Amino acid sequence: MTRRTRNWLLLAPAGTWFLVMLIIPLTVVFIFSFGERAPAGGVVPAFTFEQYANLPARWAAFKNTMTLAPIGTLSALLIAYPLAYYLAVKSSPKWKTILLVLVIVPFWTSILIRSYAWIFLLGGRGIPALLELVGIEGVRLINTPFAVLVGIIYGYLPLMVFPIYVSLDKLDKRLLEASSDLGAKPWRTFLQITLPLSIPGIATGCMLVFILLMGEYLIPALLGGGKVFFVGNALVDLFLQSRNWAYGSAVAVTLVVVMLITVTVYMRLINRLGASREDVSIM
Amino acid sequence: MTRDNDYISKQKFMQELESYRKGSVTRRHFLNVTGLGAAAAVMGAAVPGLRPSPAFAGDIGDRVIVATWPNYHDPENFEAFTEATGAHVQVNVFGSNEEMLAKLQAGATGWDVYVPTNYTISTYVEEGLIEPLDTSKLPNYDGSAFDARYAEAGSVDGTLYAVPKNWGSTGMAVNTKHNDGKPISSWKEFFDIARDKFTGRAMVHDYQLTTIGSALNYYGYSFNSVDENELADAEKLLIDVKPHLFAITSDYQPSMRNGDAWLTICWSGDGKQLNTDMPEIHYVLGREGGEIWSDYYAIPKGAPHKDAAYALINFLMDPQVNAKEVLAHGYPTADARTFDLLPEALKNDPILFPAQELLTPLEFGAAATLTDPNRAELMARFKSA
Amino acid sequence: MRLYAVCVYLFLYIPIGVIALFSFNAGRHASQLQGFSTKWYGKALSNPFVMDALETSLIVAFTSALCASVFGTMAAVALQGIKGPIRAAFDLLIYVAVMIPGIVIGIATLIGLVTVFDQLNPLIAAIWPNGFTPPKLRMGMGSLIAAHTMFLMALVVIIVRARLAGMDRALTEASSDLYATPMATFRQVTLPIISPAILAGFLLSFTFSFDDFIIAFFVAGSETTLPIYVFSSIRRGVTPEINAIGTMVLVVSLLMLITAQLLLQRGGKKQNDSR
Repeated sequence: MTRRTRNWLLLAPAGTWFLVMLIIPLTVVFIFSFGERAPAGGVVPAFTFEQYANLPARWAAFKNTMTLAPIGTLSALLIAYPLAYYLAVKSSPKWKTILLVLVIVPFWTSILIRSYAWIFLLGGRGIPALLELVGIEGVRLINTPFAVLVGIIYGYLPLMVFPIYVSLDKLDKRLLEASSDLGAKPWRTFLQITLPLSIPGIATGCMLVFILLMGEYLIPALLGGGKVFFVGNALVDLFLQSRNWAYGSAVAVTLVVVMLITVTVYMRLINRLGASREDVSIM
Repeated sequence: MTRDNDYISKQKFMQELESYRKGSVTRRHFLNVTGLGAAAAVMGAAVPGLRPSPAFAGDIGDRVIVATWPNYHDPENFEAFTEATGAHVQVNVFGSNEEMLAKLQAGATGWDVYVPTNYTISTYVEEGLIEPLDTSKLPNYDGSAFDARYAEAGSVDGTLYAVPKNWGSTGMAVNTKHNDGKPISSWKEFFDIARDKFTGRAMVHDYQLTTIGSALNYYGYSFNSVDENELADAEKLLIDVKPHLFAITSDYQPSMRNGDAWLTICWSGDGKQLNTDMPEIHYVLGREGGEIWSDYYAIPKGAPHKDAAYALINFLMDPQVNAKEVLAHGYPTADARTFDLLPEALKNDPILFPAQELLTPLEFGAAATLTDPNRAELMARFKSA
Repeated sequence: MRLYAVCVYLFLYIPIGVIALFSFNAGRHASQLQGFSTKWYGKALSNPFVMDALETSLIVAFTSALCASVFGTMAAVALQGIKGPIRAAFDLLIYVAVMIPGIVIGIATLIGLVTVFDQLNPLIAAIWPNGFTPPKLRMGMGSLIAAHTMFLMALVVIIVRARLAGMDRALTEASSDLYATPMATFRQVTLPIISPAILAGFLLSFTFSFDDFIIAFFVAGSETTLPIYVFSSIRRGVTPEINAIGTMVLVVSLLMLITAQLLLQRGGKKQNDSR
């Protein structure tokens, strides 16, 4: 068996799988997006741009997604970075593994059940009731964009902590020592050594969280009370309530295109910042 | 089971029923104490549904897959069915009729029995997604035992496609504590108070039929209207109300219970449960109208285990079995034979069995609402507004 | 710094605590505490629907994680030695598979497969021998496993490739210089090096698949996975049974994690001893 045949054989299952489960379905969605809604739901083949022309009717959903996804990503980053830094640099080696595992453990309970816990915590008997005890009255948390943001941060924090931790952990501690030996202030060491070296981790974490957020459905559905609407929620409604496959396909294609553009631009930027592409794609 | 359990005084029964409803005893305990469980214990051999009948003559296979609503069956009934026939009952739950139709249209077949609501059945027939029922395989089904109002949607053009499961109404639940102890009584009041005193405290359902229907009722239009001008009015109202809403959700019990929300569109069974636990929450029907509905059992076309599907529907049609179902889900039955077996307290319940004059203005959902693209798109625009 | 870490851990664990707390609620609602009881655990464990859903989830997660690890590793190893258009095509596919939101994967798989099945089913029926009922392609566990495997495979390729990239090429070269067959080189040199990555890929895949709701919601046909069961219960009133399920899943996975950790430590020790 030559090397060539061997490689072909090794690639065959993955290739077939991608063909059947990725290329064909995406092509069908693309074709359907030019179709029309069948009277009882579904799609009739056609060639019309009507569905794309109708996209502004979901402008609110795109706007919500395009604002809350970056805000959510940034908030998760701001909360995750100090923790990752603490775990990688400051915590004692004895506790490190346990503390790391503790970050991932909440991930093992279904996101559905965890979000349900937040429904209670953000609801009238949860945090607002506590705030009333200290005299702050009338706070509404549940079913607001804030509630969705909390759910997002909670749900995706581990995904942000891990890549940053990995990049900080690889960092040679002697560099930090050298820096302080040379009389650099701690924040200068951080800005000039730690932060630049952890950029691959930040980039990976942000991309991971951002990608997942762009397609988010559950958290807005559960914590937004149907009032904070993402593209994902619009898609579910289009396929499972109004059964408008043609329009749904057009929205899906648009979402994918928006993501491809955003992520590609983002990767270019990161690459320019000096992180190699290989690093970014390491999960 | 000991002999002691065979008899129970009426007073004790009421106590048990009350504590069962409050959730302080389990259903198994309740059924055992009241003797209703005895029915289940001997069911395997004794009830007519499980005597060898044509449907059971052959092997019905090892499974039957049911698509239904959450908390809508007594799991013990399914266990008894499995024991008697060897077929396991696998249950799938759905959020709305629209979702069920969407998945069946998408060819997501595999269900043997499903539970459509009255207004969807004719669409299933038109779409060729439903199987006509062969009554010879349903000896326990007695068409004459059913109140025709809750059974007629099951037949389309004289062919029987679905048999009635139970019925209910869609009204509103209001926490009277926040309205000086007064309930409200119309959809006009519902949407007005939602924008005023109850701002940030009201909820509407997360699917088109009842939410748009109630908004139509506000103007005195038909709950089922597909008239473009009337729908435009409804849309204006809904979009105007939206910023004042607490949520758009069909899972309204938790927020009504913890006091975050004070007002919601509500199904009678949920209304009953809320009222039992928190008497200040009243369940009322809108004066202008609203929905009355009936759920059915049907077999989708291409059901992989058709014999088992017939056997299961037949089993659930048995009055003894159905009475247990009613105790589990708490919705009224249209089957006179089952009704006779129910405890008096349930039969006289004003929420489950409202007075006739309250029911009169209510409408059954119309098939047109399900397929009307404008209603679907209106709901989507309302949600994404 | 430490205080900050404590705060973040509190943020992570208070909701978990709430879930566990309400699982012992005597009342039937997940938002109103009405006394202590363990009955919901019994209920969950004796509820055949929950057990069915759990079984489905475990089968789906295990099978798709296994397929994804095997095929993903094969592809990663092959891609290591390939350049040119095929490599570029695979890179693109992996990029797209990882980047496309789950909800789009779910929808696309549903309408794509349904369309394909509509074409294939009459064909199968036509070529099937008379007198036998032809099999019918439909959505179900198979389509769910296939959809999960697709994007998990991309994930495994990325993880394993990162490990392969960090591997010293001199090792494989040395091995083939010593006349080891490619298979022997793979078994004795490459595999031991990349096995942690494969294991990590498998575990990650299992977790993703087990927790996935949105893809399953669209492509599971008439199957119910645990997240689908939980979701549909949430939509019409949650009982503490759901909390009990969540708590049990958490405790079981924690136990598994600890066991794995202990086994790995012991295994590591043994390996060290034998050196």
